[in-house]
Amino acid sequence: MAPSGTVADPPPSSATDSFNSGATAENDIRPFFVLHKASSGNLQAKSTGTVKSKRRIESPSPSKFAKKSEPESVEEEDNDYFSTLRLKVFDTVWSKIEKTIENVLRDSNSKVFSGIHDWIRESFESIRSSGALSLSEAVRSYPVLTQASSKQLFTALVLTRNLEMVDDLLTFEELHLRLKSQGCHVAKLSSMDFSAKNGVGGCLRGLLRQFVMPTIDVADVTILASWYRENKNHENPVVIIVDDTERCCGSVLSDLILILSEWAIKVPIFIIMGVSTAHDAPRKILSMNALQRLCASKFTLSSPAERMDAVLEAVFLKPCSGFTVSHKVALFMRSYFLCQDGTLTSFVRTLKIACLQHFSLEPLSIMLEHFCQDDSNQLSDEGTGLLTEATMKHAFDLPSVTRNKITRSTYEMLPQFLLDLQRMPNPWSIVVLCIYEAGKFDKLRLLDIFCETLDPEARYLKYFSPSATVNSQSHISGRNSVIRQLLRKLRDLSPSQLSSLLKSWEKLTAEFSEINDKVMELHPFMRSVEAAGQRQGLPSSPKKHASRSHSKLEKELKAMTDKVAAVIEFMLREYMKPVESVPFNEILCFKNVDKLQSALLGDPRGRIQSDLLESHSILHCMCCSQRGTTTLLPSMHDTSILYTLAQEHADVINLHDWYQSFKTILVPRSSKAKPKSKTASKSKKRKDRCEEPPEPPAEALVQARFCRAVMELQIAGLIRMPSKRRPDFVQRVAFGS
Amino acid sequence: MPPREDSSKVARRSTRFSSSSAAVENPEPNESHPPTIDDLTFGGESFPLDALLSDFPGRRSQILDLIRLMGPLDSPTLPVIVYGDASTGKTSLVLQVLRHLNRPFVYSSCRACYNPRVLFESILNQLLLHSKSSSNGYSSAKRCDKPSDFVNLLRQSLGNVMETLDSRSNGKPVGKMVYLVVDHLDLIKEWDKGAVILQFLFNLYSLLKMPQLGVILISGLPPDVYYSNMGYTDPIPLYFPEYSEDDLRQIFLKNQTNRKLYSAFLDVVLRPFSRVTRRVDELSTTFSSLFRKYCEPLDDLGVSPNEDLKRRLYSHLKPLLAPCLNEIFRVSSRSHDDERRQKKASYSSENREEVGVLDFHMSTSAKFLLIAAFLASRNPATLDASMFDSTGGMDNRKRKRKASEKSMEKKEIAEQEAVMKGPGSFPLERLLAIFQCIASVGDTSFGEEEEEEEGEATGYDREKTNLMSDILLQVSSLCDANLIIKSGSCPLEGTSRYRSMVSEDLALKVGKSLSFPLAKYLYRR
Repeated sequence: MAPSGTVADPPPSSATDSFNSGATAENDIRPFFVLHKASSGNLQAKSTGTVKSKRRIESPSPSKFAKKSEPESVEEEDNDYFSTLRLKVFDTVWSKIEKTIENVLRDSNSKVFSGIHDWIRESFESIRSSGALSLSEAVRSYPVLTQASSKQLFTALVLTRNLEMVDDLLTFEELHLRLKSQGCHVAKLSSMDFSAKNGVGGCLRGLLRQFVMPTIDVADVTILASWYRENKNHENPVVIIVDDTERCCGSVLSDLILILSEWAIKVPIFIIMGVSTAHDAPRKILSMNALQRLCASKFTLSSPAERMDAVLEAVFLKPCSGFTVSHKVALFMRSYFLCQDGTLTSFVRTLKIACLQHFSLEPLSIMLEHFCQDDSNQLSDEGTGLLTEATMKHAFDLPSVTRNKITRSTYEMLPQFLLDLQRMPNPWSIVVLCIYEAGKFDKLRLLDIFCETLDPEARYLKYFSPSATVNSQSHISGRNSVIRQLLRKLRDLSPSQLSSLLKSWEKLTAEFSEINDKVMELHPFMRSVEAAGQRQGLPSSPKKHASRSHSKLEKELKAMTDKVAAVIEFMLREYMKPVESVPFNEILCFKNVDKLQSALLGDPRGRIQSDLLESHSILHCMCCSQRGTTTLLPSMHDTSILYTLAQEHADVINLHDWYQSFKTILVPRSSKAKPKSKTASKSKKRKDRCEEPPEPPAEALVQARFCRAVMELQIAGLIRMPSKRRPDFVQRVAFGS
Repeated sequence: MPPREDSSKVARRSTRFSSSSAAVENPEPNESHPPTIDDLTFGGESFPLDALLSDFPGRRSQILDLIRLMGPLDSPTLPVIVYGDASTGKTSLVLQVLRHLNRPFVYSSCRACYNPRVLFESILNQLLLHSKSSSNGYSSAKRCDKPSDFVNLLRQSLGNVMETLDSRSNGKPVGKMVYLVVDHLDLIKEWDKGAVILQFLFNLYSLLKMPQLGVILISGLPPDVYYSNMGYTDPIPLYFPEYSEDDLRQIFLKNQTNRKLYSAFLDVVLRPFSRVTRRVDELSTTFSSLFRKYCEPLDDLGVSPNEDLKRRLYSHLKPLLAPCLNEIFRVSSRSHDDERRQKKASYSSENREEVGVLDFHMSTSAKFLLIAAFLASRNPATLDASMFDSTGGMDNRKRKRKASEKSMEKKEIAEQEAVMKGPGSFPLERLLAIFQCIASVGDTSFGEEEEEEEGEATGYDREKTNLMSDILLQVSSLCDANLIIKSGSCPLEGTSRYRSMVSEDLALKVGKSLSFPLAKYLYRR
């Protein structure tokens, strides 16, 4: 998980959405913020997370309400009140989700971590049992003269199984803390420490800084040895964690390994290397001598897809916050995960953006607060009490409400609907989990099942509903349906798999009697299948007999799988009501895929370009609106003028020409130069003073402004500075917008 | 301690060469915290020559040479350079000889002392009997950066050491000489200004003008590579050749409990392995794991094997030998401790199993990028147009048809050249262009081949419009993972070029996971 600072960073596009709506708050000039006040803007963004997100929430909401309801002052106040309230609810909801995710991830790692710890303990004992060294032996510089195998370094390769490292930074941080709490001396090095520039000295220094003390004059491995002999330090192993081995400079890492291996007897060191690709990655980056010193064991973390499934289960399927996403959003998140980023971090970020947008777009989302709480009965009065007339109207205008022909007349029924909604996910999620349980034998991903079961217009719904016509359709429609596939694969399950499936179903459905009864009905069949299996397993039975009992077993098994399939179909038919088909689902469910997409895949460079070219449409300054949009005026922003001018050039721009044309705009030919009053023209944005003709700036000032504007374009990544070979030309980097 | 056998011949020699070997008595080493002058010697019990000789099978002449070069007590010694391949016993032999002679010495390895300052300070620390501790902030005794300072400080501290050695009355005679042992001399060549330091070290003896310091340099490279005509006296070379097979056998038999069993084991493994490597450290790690395997069928490790048992054990071990021969890096999986998985591609049956499953996660676009990079590295750039036009790379069949004798020969030469050159480099633009082509092809024509992929392909299609936004991010994370490397910039354009580092196996795996027909696009010469 990423820290919240990065997660909630406002993507530029979301801020610009409100540009067209006429709101001209000061934060709407954000593209220029990038150019001008980057430092202060960042500072503000870092200092308080809530301020920043509040800004984001509030900016779209006035425009939306301006459209939807009559501009009444009372409502404005209400809006303010509600938006802060919604923000508060968002905080509680999101913190709940976040905590759930954290717990899931911690659980998923804990097994591997304890494995690593056991390994360290065992190996450390084996080292210690081989004989203790005296103090003078342990700190002197020449090697202990024993067998060559004593130079081996115990190494754990931790396979993270993901190309991207982001997810695992936290994992290794946790491992660090865990081992430290268990008494090991732990240091964590990253690839930054293994740079070719600093050499092995740099990473030794990093090690010593973490082990010994922060100020070390010369980093020397003898310091480590003397430190290890002090203060009973030698009773615990020394562990070094390198979290991204692939990114390290191989020669430096090899050097470190060789040094440490020469001291391996004096200072028993364990290296934990995080490997993100294949386990033979060390072979590619380390030298042969270093490789040979490693005594490697392999530990495997759960793959990102597995973790993803666990997170999905905890957030959406187990009772968590009530917040959920629609089919389209889920599909988008899935394809973003599979095709684009593939990290859990980005998935969580997507989820957070979705959640934030849900709260900023949907007035009724306040009611999620009550879903978040564990005791369910509070909802009815308080929840509806919060609603004003306007939100009430909004509630009954929701598409899911109108679709179901619920009108204002059924106002009294609202609490009932809400209660239903609150209870609603239960049978659905139980069914999804049951299907997942069945799909586990076929290695189906919960992600796929989840996406498919969210689909309100799923084909299987039609197929299973009694009105639909039979099988002929299903062959065409259900080709790539996960559930189809699952039902097909069900026939291949062995009796033991079936019985374990039944057991897990029983556990899952324990709270939901309707399904549970159906599951319980299966047990006698299961018993008979098992009995048949046992009969067949008797070793003494003659061949003929065996084949007969075998066929009997098969028959039983077939009957059994048919029953199981029937139960699945029953569950799908009766309880598979995706959240989107329920009235008032808009309260829980985030649906706006486009908003999410533009927030996630913001196109900052393109945005900067288009904003530079059309700055007047954002600034709404007097001068430009009067004289039309096509001409370049001296009152425009310098960077904007320069960039507009740059459009006339090909991929290289002659600096001199560029400057000349820039000058002609600032200093119109007609008016003679009055080289005075430098101070007056110093202010960059002179939109307030553009009525009176500004006196043309001096040559030096024009040059300075030109330089600065070019620099800003470079910082924005739009041009590249002149190279040595062609000192007169800058290169355009970005084309089109 | 190795068993002491009385060999009269050895004893006679030793008395002839060095007067100090036999008669010395050793006091107990001083264990008090501040190091004393005794820490410069090995201390411990006396170490007779025959034990030394039996410790180093096959190194008899080297031991005797070294002892002769160092001469009797208090005789000035010219610098000696000990050289030979890695793991031929240079360091331990020199140290053990010093132990045997009971001479005070200072040892510094240029591996641990990675720059001149650390090297100089480590030498001075030892001479000044300074130990780093928390009380002195883990600092060195003297700060010393430059060779000239080092000479002065060295002279001073040597003087101190001499005084203490003089004033020492008790214990056995250690003489009035200190030996400076500098190990891993070859690494200095890699330091910046390494040549200067090397010359300085070679010249140290004549610069210092103190016969009390004997210099022993240990190097993996022969002395010829260091010499420049700078006018110092060449150190006396002492070469350590590779061990012979018999030497290796004796070395490995040295500390075994059941020598008969181990010798039967060595009969099996030593010959094939000594053809591959004769480095004792490599062999000993391999052998120790192999020996464990070898003993697995045995209940009693003390058994002395007969022919039948040997044969049985051999047949048990045989399938493991071949993969081990090519293998220096073994990864044991922790969960099932017994089963060690050998990871070498040469073991074909296992290899086949592994193809097809990609054991780490990559996003689809990263996979396409990886394939694009692989293609860009493998195929000549001139072929791109024909590969990725509308026919989709079908026309390279035609090229294959006209193969005459001459062209076959040419092809072979080109193939060898390509092997020598390795993967080619390509600019980023080419990578992106190929990526664009294969990503679109992957969507349209291969989706229907496999049912399962269809769902993914459509999802991918949906995203394709936005795909380019973070493709550069993917490139950089591929670079980070060493799957693509950024090679030097092109001299003409000044832009950086890339090179794909993935093996064909991995590329095929990735291609398979996307159901992308990679083989169709590969240009085979």
